[in-house]
Amino acid sequence: MTNLHLLYPEIALSLLALSLLVVELFVAPRHNRLLYHLGWMVSMVVLCIVGFTISEGASSQGVGTLWSVDPMSQFFKLLILVTTVLCLLLGLEYKPLEGGHAGSFVCLLLLSSAGMMFLVSSVDLLMTFLSLELISLTSFVLTGFERANPKSNEGAIKYFLFGAFSSAVMAYGISLFYGATGTTRLVGLSHTGGTLFLLGVLFILLGFCFKAAIAPMHFWVPDAYEGAPTPVTAYLSLAPKIATLGALLRLFGILVPASVLELTTLLAVLSGLTMTIGNLTAFFQENVKRLLAYSSVAQAGYILIGIVSESTLGLEGVLLYSFVYVAMNLGAFAVAQVIADDSRRSYKGDPYGLESFNGLAQRSLGLALAMTFFLLSLAGIPPMAGFMGKFYIFSSAIQSGHYFLAALGVLNSVASAYYYMRIAFHMFFKPAATLEAPAAGPYVTGGLALAAAAVLLFGFYPEPLVASVQASAQYLP
Amino acid sequence: MNILSLITFIPLLGALIVLLAPKEKERLIQGVSLASSGVSLLLSAYLYFVFDRTSPGMQFVERLPWIPSMNIHYALGVDGLSFPLVLLTTLMTLLSLIGSLGIKERVKEYFFWFLLLEVGMIGVFEALDFVLFYVFWELTLVPMYFLIGIWGGPQKEYAAIKFFLYTLFGSVFMLLAILAVYFNSSPHTFDMMALMNAHGAWSPRFQILVFIGFYLAFAIKVPAFPFHTWLPLAHVEAPTAVSVVLAAILLKMGVYGIMRVSYSMLPLGFAWFLPILVVIAVVNIVYGALCAMAQADMKKMVAYSSINHMGYSLLAIAGLTATGFSGAVLEMVNHGIITGALFLLVGVIYDRAHTRDLSAFGGLATRLPVYAGMMSLAAFASLGLPGLAGFVSEFLCFLGAFPRWKLHTALSVLGILTTAAFFLRMIEKVFLGPANARWAGLEDMNLRELAATAPLAVLMIVLGIWPRWALDLMNATMIHMAGLFK
Repeated sequence: MTNLHLLYPEIALSLLALSLLVVELFVAPRHNRLLYHLGWMVSMVVLCIVGFTISEGASSQGVGTLWSVDPMSQFFKLLILVTTVLCLLLGLEYKPLEGGHAGSFVCLLLLSSAGMMFLVSSVDLLMTFLSLELISLTSFVLTGFERANPKSNEGAIKYFLFGAFSSAVMAYGISLFYGATGTTRLVGLSHTGGTLFLLGVLFILLGFCFKAAIAPMHFWVPDAYEGAPTPVTAYLSLAPKIATLGALLRLFGILVPASVLELTTLLAVLSGLTMTIGNLTAFFQENVKRLLAYSSVAQAGYILIGIVSESTLGLEGVLLYSFVYVAMNLGAFAVAQVIADDSRRSYKGDPYGLESFNGLAQRSLGLALAMTFFLLSLAGIPPMAGFMGKFYIFSSAIQSGHYFLAALGVLNSVASAYYYMRIAFHMFFKPAATLEAPAAGPYVTGGLALAAAAVLLFGFYPEPLVASVQASAQYLP
Repeated sequence: MNILSLITFIPLLGALIVLLAPKEKERLIQGVSLASSGVSLLLSAYLYFVFDRTSPGMQFVERLPWIPSMNIHYALGVDGLSFPLVLLTTLMTLLSLIGSLGIKERVKEYFFWFLLLEVGMIGVFEALDFVLFYVFWELTLVPMYFLIGIWGGPQKEYAAIKFFLYTLFGSVFMLLAILAVYFNSSPHTFDMMALMNAHGAWSPRFQILVFIGFYLAFAIKVPAFPFHTWLPLAHVEAPTAVSVVLAAILLKMGVYGIMRVSYSMLPLGFAWFLPILVVIAVVNIVYGALCAMAQADMKKMVAYSSINHMGYSLLAIAGLTATGFSGAVLEMVNHGIITGALFLLVGVIYDRAHTRDLSAFGGLATRLPVYAGMMSLAAFASLGLPGLAGFVSEFLCFLGAFPRWKLHTALSVLGILTTAAFFLRMIEKVFLGPANARWAGLEDMNLRELAATAPLAVLMIVLGIWPRWALDLMNATMIHMAGLFK
């Protein structure tokens, strides 16, 4: 029995994305925004389709078991689509992108999302590799989309070189894996030791580390994030990271569990390294995009703790944290975009410099408070939703006896509070150059309000989120 | 809605109204702030009359499921330990807000953060669920950061971030400790009352580890030596009213935590730490007093005297007697009232003279008789003059600690001596001697300043002459708590 119908959402998204390329031919350049609107509507439609499959409660595996559709994968797909919608809303009002090629931009973004949806469902290394490539190739182009901006080009090239390298390593790892086990399927993997197998798994892990920007494979992050158009930066810091971590969770939390291969220590080391390096480097950043780039490296480290703990609680923690992370990180980038768009007009220096946040509290208290909420949430300070995420993640670490990792995690949270509060410092403590409120368009404001509401609501009353996460933490073996 | 929820969240309502108000309407903002914290005070004053003084347990308990999937509850309640502190909090916040009416800059933000701070402070003393406790505990952090950082003195930014990181550092270890007790209780629970009976199954090693986690958070807040280094800076840089709540209430959260959690929940850990705790208490008392003696800045002097006075509370707790516990709680209340008044009064002179240097003044008693009277009253109360509030609680502290720690208590008396020395020196330098002509134009206290300090002065006298009305509140709980230790 073919189970192609399980992939209808992905197929629909890919087809609609491609059709946008055709539509672009018939849309005059001055009506570019129409394409963005079409883009987010398409994502919404697919979002609804995925939502329906969840309400049906169906979970099954596809032909030859290349893919699994279960509540866990659907949760990640929803999250990816929500991110896509919100990033397209940001894109609608991102000034430097108003030039043209809107159709290709939206199409690439949607194709990338489709790749991520494949990725989180994949239970076969071939499928994993293909979807990772789809994500990577589209992301390279998206990063370099601001063609007039040298930084954008630089970021794209760096991203591409690192990406090509890690793809090769991963492909090599998969071939070793195949050599050791005779299959690329991960379902029902029986015990297979040996150097070949171990080496294969390590190389595959390295490939994942690249995509999720886990140390020591994070070096491409700051340049790519700084150069990419801000909506793309927001997108890159969220969707691929979450999708890859979701795939990592499936692979090393479920399909290759500790009983087959003991990777816990290695993953714990990676997690500790990622948090610490991300946070310590973020200390010295003077550019908000770079600061948030390093912060997102650190955030991946926290999520990894949940994978390390290999328990139901850890799994739920990963889902919960991913959800919260989308809201808070997207919110922070949205504010950064508003500020940068504003300061590009009046201010001589780097529009993303911390200085451009000076005195925001006096210019627009609402915007400054929203940003403060996002930053506090990222730092994991209650009553923001980020606290609930960290609470869950650290609970799972304590439960499974990773006391040292938990202690490292909380110490990192304290350290991260320092640089997050640096932005608050500029917003509240520095005098403003002008008292005029920065102009924010309706779509950015809408996205911002949504993110702020999520951060506050799920901080004060996380029950609905916790309940749905617990329902989503079910997977097919 | 339960009355405790009202007390806690009416300031939040006020904060939201302030946030929505246009920033030009300063009168409205000030009015809403005073009204909301005033209602909070009235409600807690009402509780004073209906509070059952014979029951050692929790009263006015409210318990609702908050995050049922994780067995987390929204649970509030007060007993003889927490209720006096809730009263203190609502009173001191209102008086500080009155004291803040002179703030001219960014009024809206100031009152917003201040009311948010009040929510956190009240909540900490009332929370009966660890997650809720932690949320309230951290809720005090952010408003404080902004209050110090925006309206503070010359080094305000540094003081704000130092306070923030220092406190956060402590509290994240408390979070780990909370999670550890959660996973080692069966059934898993965050209910503080249930966890108080769960320690029977915990090994000494576990209790000691968890104790250290909690102690880090509490000791930083107290602040207990050697974690006191954030305090002088934060106090000196903070605006007057913020110093008041910092000294009067935030420090109490630490001592409250030690009594509520460390002592009641982890008896073996506490017993292990007891000999160290008493030494820390003595160091706090003597070292704090000596440091205060060495200060030329009045505000810094009062800040160090807080370290000294918190030492009395710690010493009394280490005594493990009902008398000592009552002394510790009464000392917290009295220190809140007295030091609150002292900070307000230092603020009064700073607003006029723009200096707090002790040696810059002289003979002010002739210029500012009311001010001199108030300041002397507060100083005498603080140094423990019989007849005023400080004496009663310090006496109880020593009385409670003496049976168990004779040598330590004897050493601590040195602290009292030093306290008397530096306060008398301050009175002499500032108010007595030849009048310094430089301050000829200074005006005496105005109505707003009197409104903020007079209630405190009355309380100092009332609590000094007739402390029973306060002690009766805590007695039953303290006797029960003293019986816990075997």
